[in-house]
Amino acid sequence: MRIVIAEDDPLLREGLALLLRAEGLDVVATAGTPDDALAAIGEHHPDVAVLDVRMPPTHTDEGIRAAVEARRRVPGLPVLVLSAYVEQSFARDLLGGGVGGLGYLLKERVGRVEEFLDALHRVAGGGTAIDPEVVAQLFTRSHRDTRLERLSPRERDVLALMAEGLGNGAIAERLVVTEGAVHKHIRSIFAKLDLSPADRTDRRVAAVLRYLEDRG
Amino acid sequence: MHADPPPVPRGLRAVVVRAAGGAGAGLEQLVGGFGTAVVALAVLAALTVAAVTVPLGAGLLLAPGALRALHALAGRERDRLSRWGPEVVAPDPAPVRPRAALADPTTRRELRWLARHATAGFLLGTLGVLLPLLAVRDFLFPAYWRLAPQDANATSLGLGLATNWPEAFAVSVLGLFWVALIAVAAPGLARLQAAPGRRLLSAGPETDLSLRIAELTATRAAALDAHAAELRRIERSLHDGTQNRLVTVTVLLGAARRMAARDPAGADALLERAQGAAEQALAELRSVARGILPPVLADRGLEGALSGLAASCAVPCRLDADAPARCAATVEATAYFVAAEALTNVARHSGARHAAVTVRGGAGRLRLTVTDDGRGGADEEGGTGLTGIRRRVAALDGTLTLTSPPGGPTTLEVELPCGS
Repeated sequence: MRIVIAEDDPLLREGLALLLRAEGLDVVATAGTPDDALAAIGEHHPDVAVLDVRMPPTHTDEGIRAAVEARRRVPGLPVLVLSAYVEQSFARDLLGGGVGGLGYLLKERVGRVEEFLDALHRVAGGGTAIDPEVVAQLFTRSHRDTRLERLSPRERDVLALMAEGLGNGAIAERLVVTEGAVHKHIRSIFAKLDLSPADRTDRRVAAVLRYLEDRG
Repeated sequence: MHADPPPVPRGLRAVVVRAAGGAGAGLEQLVGGFGTAVVALAVLAALTVAAVTVPLGAGLLLAPGALRALHALAGRERDRLSRWGPEVVAPDPAPVRPRAALADPTTRRELRWLARHATAGFLLGTLGVLLPLLAVRDFLFPAYWRLAPQDANATSLGLGLATNWPEAFAVSVLGLFWVALIAVAAPGLARLQAAPGRRLLSAGPETDLSLRIAELTATRAAALDAHAAELRRIERSLHDGTQNRLVTVTVLLGAARRMAARDPAGADALLERAQGAAEQALAELRSVARGILPPVLADRGLEGALSGLAASCAVPCRLDADAPARCAATVEATAYFVAAEALTNVARHSGARHAAVTVRGGAGRLRLTVTDDGRGGADEEGGTGLTGIRRRVAALDGTLTLTSPPGGPTTLEVELPCGS
């Protein structure tokens, strides 16, 4: 897997590259600014770009804007954004155009190497990886949609893990239930959120997006 | 910055102490008023000359200077009265052109005050100067009467001759009378002298305070801005510095754990780097905490904190601090940051061989001066450091003066109201 890393802190940038290379991944370029990152992405066409949210010059949302711009230039480019803290508006800006091949993780998750690599692979494969913290905040703050109120606590747990980007098997493992039970919960969630049976992946994405949209 | 009030004594001693305190303050005010009254006489004379010579043309040339002197004197008197009682709020800056001044209510009120202060105020001030002299002269009369010429007046009233000891001691009793008179009358006389100033120099009902309000609003907004900027700075150094270091630690630890089994030596190298990053995180955390409120300021006061700064400055730095009272925490913190920022600039840009920090307190102001013998030419537009200093100082209603001619020396002067 070929990766471009953009992170303005030199030590962390080096640490990330070191970690990924030690795992046998191909870090083709590293960048310290959004412009350098966009140039590297244009040049190398990586399988996934890992971007820090806060980069020069203003250290606010350069990484988000670079991610949006990169996906405008290279449609469908998988991007994993690393953030120092949860900022809902960033998640919305980023995921607003669809969640396929997108990830939004808190920086400290990187230390859990297996989970981080898992998320990275999922994003590179066109999946989703949303930080549990982001999902948790969406849950506590999205009480406006009465449809969400209909969900049972267990169904919320399942939806939270779906939002993180996990598949049914992984969700069953986390909740220590059978895959069949997870399947049942998900059907119930779709029903309660008025998502008609169509392509399953789309409904999963739609269920996650519902939370993000209801935040607006 | 208020000192503890002195304990209130009881009984006769209390009465004496209170009377002495009141009389002392009264006399001090009267003498201070005498000082401004003498200047008021001179200004009154100048204005009179200007008014009389207007037909000759010279008056028009004289008037702006005299009016400027009037405004300066009125400003001084406002400050003086504010020290002895409620603040005398200054109205808008007054014009100095004769025609505009005649129509300006502030100037007209200042003129009315000038007439009173140069006459009645002057006489009351004279009393304030004379009474203590008379008291001393008469009270000590027995000590020197034998040296005095035989036909000299014994009393300061110009009456009587003292020819023997009892008569000399009688004069001394007159001295005690003066002391009693001072004790009883001085506070009242001082109030009488201050009354016209308090009434006429403060912003009158017809003056427009909008300028003052706008100024207060602006400084308040600047204070909020400065605080917001300060919080942003802290947040940024936490997120982009300390947190990144700690993330680096977890990244390296995570990598080391994965590597431990297959390559122990490589894992060890990673652990060492992780430790280094953790140490850096600690160092950054320390500097962030110091940036919020230097612990040394709370522990050792401004003087102690500044001596620490001076000692750690890369350029040999001398500290001369004489600020008796402590100021509000924000004021001291600002003074500290100004000194820190200024010394950083000295070390980085000036090429100086010596620097000096001077602190002076008193009269409700804190004055900080940082000088160096470097190459000068410090430019406020050049770096953000000086702009930051100016914003912080302005937020506290302080003033900043920077003189830095090419070739040096550079002097940064900051004056802050002490707050309470």
